[in-house]
Amino acid sequence: MILIGLLLLLLALLGAPLFTIIGASAMLGFSHSEIDLSVVAIEFYRIAEMPVLLAIPLFTFAGYLLSESNAPKRLVRITIAFLGWMPAGLAVVSLLACAFFTAFTGASGVTIVALGALLYPALMQAGYKDNFSLGLVTTSGSLGLLFAPALPLILYAVIAQQLGIGGQITVDAMFIAGILPGLLMLAMLIGWSVWSSRHQPLQKFNWLEAKTALREAIWELPLPFMVLGGIYSGYFALSEAAAVTALYVLIVEVLILREISLRKLPGVMRQSMILVGGILVILGLSLASTNYLIDAEIPSKLFGFIKELISDKLTFLILLNVFLLILGTMLDIFSALVLIVPLLLPVAIGYGIDPVHLGIIFLANMQIGYFTPPVGMNLFIASYRFKKPVIQLYRAALPWFFILFTAVLVITYWPGLSLILLK
Amino acid sequence: MLIARLHRIILLIEDSLLVLLLTLMILLSTAQILLRNLFDSGISWGDPALRLMVLWVALLGAMVATRDNNHININILSYFLSEKNQARVQRVTDLFASIVCGLIAWHATSLVIMEKQDGTIAFASFPTWMGESIIPIGFGVIALRFLLSSLTGNNPR
Repeated sequence: MILIGLLLLLLALLGAPLFTIIGASAMLGFSHSEIDLSVVAIEFYRIAEMPVLLAIPLFTFAGYLLSESNAPKRLVRITIAFLGWMPAGLAVVSLLACAFFTAFTGASGVTIVALGALLYPALMQAGYKDNFSLGLVTTSGSLGLLFAPALPLILYAVIAQQLGIGGQITVDAMFIAGILPGLLMLAMLIGWSVWSSRHQPLQKFNWLEAKTALREAIWELPLPFMVLGGIYSGYFALSEAAAVTALYVLIVEVLILREISLRKLPGVMRQSMILVGGILVILGLSLASTNYLIDAEIPSKLFGFIKELISDKLTFLILLNVFLLILGTMLDIFSALVLIVPLLLPVAIGYGIDPVHLGIIFLANMQIGYFTPPVGMNLFIASYRFKKPVIQLYRAALPWFFILFTAVLVITYWPGLSLILLK
Repeated sequence: MLIARLHRIILLIEDSLLVLLLTLMILLSTAQILLRNLFDSGISWGDPALRLMVLWVALLGAMVATRDNNHININILSYFLSEKNQARVQRVTDLFASIVCGLIAWHATSLVIMEKQDGTIAFASFPTWMGESIIPIGFGVIALRFLLSSLTGNNPR
């Protein structure tokens, strides 16, 4: 059994698709306990029984469509027009625009490609240092992951609900819990930007430019109010907000602004659904493997084992941070959620950690895993996109890494930050 | 030649079905919201149909992802291998993936057959087994694609 486990791990590290590894371990487990393997298909069919999953294809499509249109350009222009006059204005603009964009597109490298390509040259032109600009753009690629309607928040709630422990962990709760930790990260990065570029000359606020930018972005402006207002006020269910967003973006970009031609549209749809398919097969098969884990009482055995080694909550949290940081550099956020949360959540509850708080810790760690040297994925994407050596990106990202690492520590050891808005 | 043409047609159907389903999902789900808010009604089979479409989109998307060699993986070790060895390793991992997907397809088929004998209805008069049938079909096609890729050593488009 251990030998087969190691073999699967080796295959995974050699690049076998993760869903096949998960499927294989589920089937091995079930056949070991002499359960008919059609249970895997039964579990997979539960994808068709979870209403919240409808939001995933719809939001992903809307995000892809937005990033293919000129919306990123307009977003940058309008934020520069309104916030560019502040000290380190352009840096602040970049952070805010990226956070906003990532929340909508779900942190899959899209932000660096779509927004970074606009912001990096703009930052250089405005006289910011090369490494500062590179670090900022790379860091911003995963910023905003804690804000609604980011896909990972939804996915965590879905997985946690499947486990049926720790009470009701709803998507709404995750959306609310993410607000303050997300703002903390944003505030610390803005503080660092303002401080490190305090010698930058200030720009004047230009009424004309602001008016033009506003008029240009008039169609996209209602979007955040529609989505966030709709979700947080409870007027829309999540999948309804996703449906309205998808239809609205479709009408605006294809029919009104005509930036995506009808001929290009199927290609964008296909591209976005490839990502959705990739995520959902992993999720579907992990429903089966999770079912097996619970059946075989593996989480509670794991907790018993860890409890022997680690007695107090604090040590557990420290080790958790280290573990998640390493995990985040190796696994993308979706597979990490699906693979690790079913094992981790029962253990964490055993140590008295609130499940919603755990979700925020998990995602915050994953977020900085994206650009943790030496293997964070966004470092490579940025290196490729901006044609800079990876080594330079390591150096550029390092100060930003330490700032967000501090934020992650605060988020981890101060549960109130995540939970206070829920009470 | 005939096979090549047939294959192209199948790929076209696959892509079109994916695009069609997504379009339907957007329209049906917004229609439901309108009906609910304006007329306080709704299509009774709308919500289960939407949920089923998510399943279909998931598998069709995964099928297309296999075609594009675009599945989520970790792939750390193969950075250290030469290009030639990378290709060899991928043949092995593809064969593994093919076996796993083939097994899932096999067991899913028996589920669909069972469901057909039971004759359960998913919604309206749509039988459950038809909705489920995408699971064996999807994993079957994915298994075939991985097998082909493993045998020929290049990713079939």
